[in-house]
Amino acid sequence: MTANLAPQDDRWLEDALRADAGYLDDAGFTARVMDALPPPAAVPRWRKPAVAALWALAAAGTAIALPGAFLDVARETYKLIAAQPVSLPQIATVVVALGIATWSATVYALRSE
Amino acid sequence: MAPPPVSDAQLIARVIVEDDRHAFAELVRRHQSAVRACLRRLTGGNHALADDLAQDTFVLAWRNLKSFRQEAKFSTWLYRIATNCWLASARKRTEELLGDRDAELPDDAGDDNQSMASDAGGDPARGATLHVDLTRAMAVLSDAERAAIVQCYHNDLTHEEAAYVLGCPVGTVKTHVLRAKQKLKTALAAWAPE
Repeated sequence: MTANLAPQDDRWLEDALRADAGYLDDAGFTARVMDALPPPAAVPRWRKPAVAALWALAAAGTAIALPGAFLDVARETYKLIAAQPVSLPQIATVVVALGIATWSATVYALRSE
Repeated sequence: MAPPPVSDAQLIARVIVEDDRHAFAELVRRHQSAVRACLRRLTGGNHALADDLAQDTFVLAWRNLKSFRQEAKFSTWLYRIATNCWLASARKRTEELLGDRDAELPDDAGDDNQSMASDAGGDPARGATLHVDLTRAMAVLSDAERAAIVQCYHNDLTHEEAAYVLGCPVGTVKTHVLRAKQKLKTALAAWAPE
């Protein structure tokens, strides 16, 4: 609601200004708008698999060109985790939380379908 | 059991993520009346121009939907686009607007006149006459004043929402509304109660 409070002598003017024009029937307006929209971008069917293949190729190329890089990353990650004082119950909690998150995401994705 | 109504936010998400034109058509169907009515007020009752501008508004909304950050209601965001479309059109037609304003009064304003009747003490003739006089009086206002009046009264937005729509500070909106009301009261003095 608007905060346009007015003195009593403005009421007649405000009532006139607020007069409802009533619902305007669509009368083909929506169809005209939809016709005026730019046409959908034509994306060829082969584009998605081609992009995925290119990414896979790039990953494989990087792995071949820099074989030590992946091992270094894995080693440093392990060191980082090992440096933390983690107990068995904490690991179990994380595993359970990840399981619940995965389950929820799967259910949500299936429902969205 | 009927499925739950889909919210505007869900339809917008479908348009953005899936490029869903049916979802956008539903959004247009839901908001076309309010946007067209707003533009009819802004254009002084020029229905054909208002519908053209409303069409431009929805096409622009489609193109810029990804930039809609939900900081305002979708309808308010549409009013903002509609107002910008009208201002751009008004700038192009400035010379026409400065001409004979009486000529702008629409021939097909009958529908609005009927709805106005109920707000004039139930007397249809009196309501229609007040509507015609009000339309003439609105033509006296500057573009900014008219836009402020339309957003604050016809669209029933708060001053803050109107400021968002008009892209100006809240204080400026209040000033425009006050000035516009003064002008309208002067122009419609004969309608003021004794």
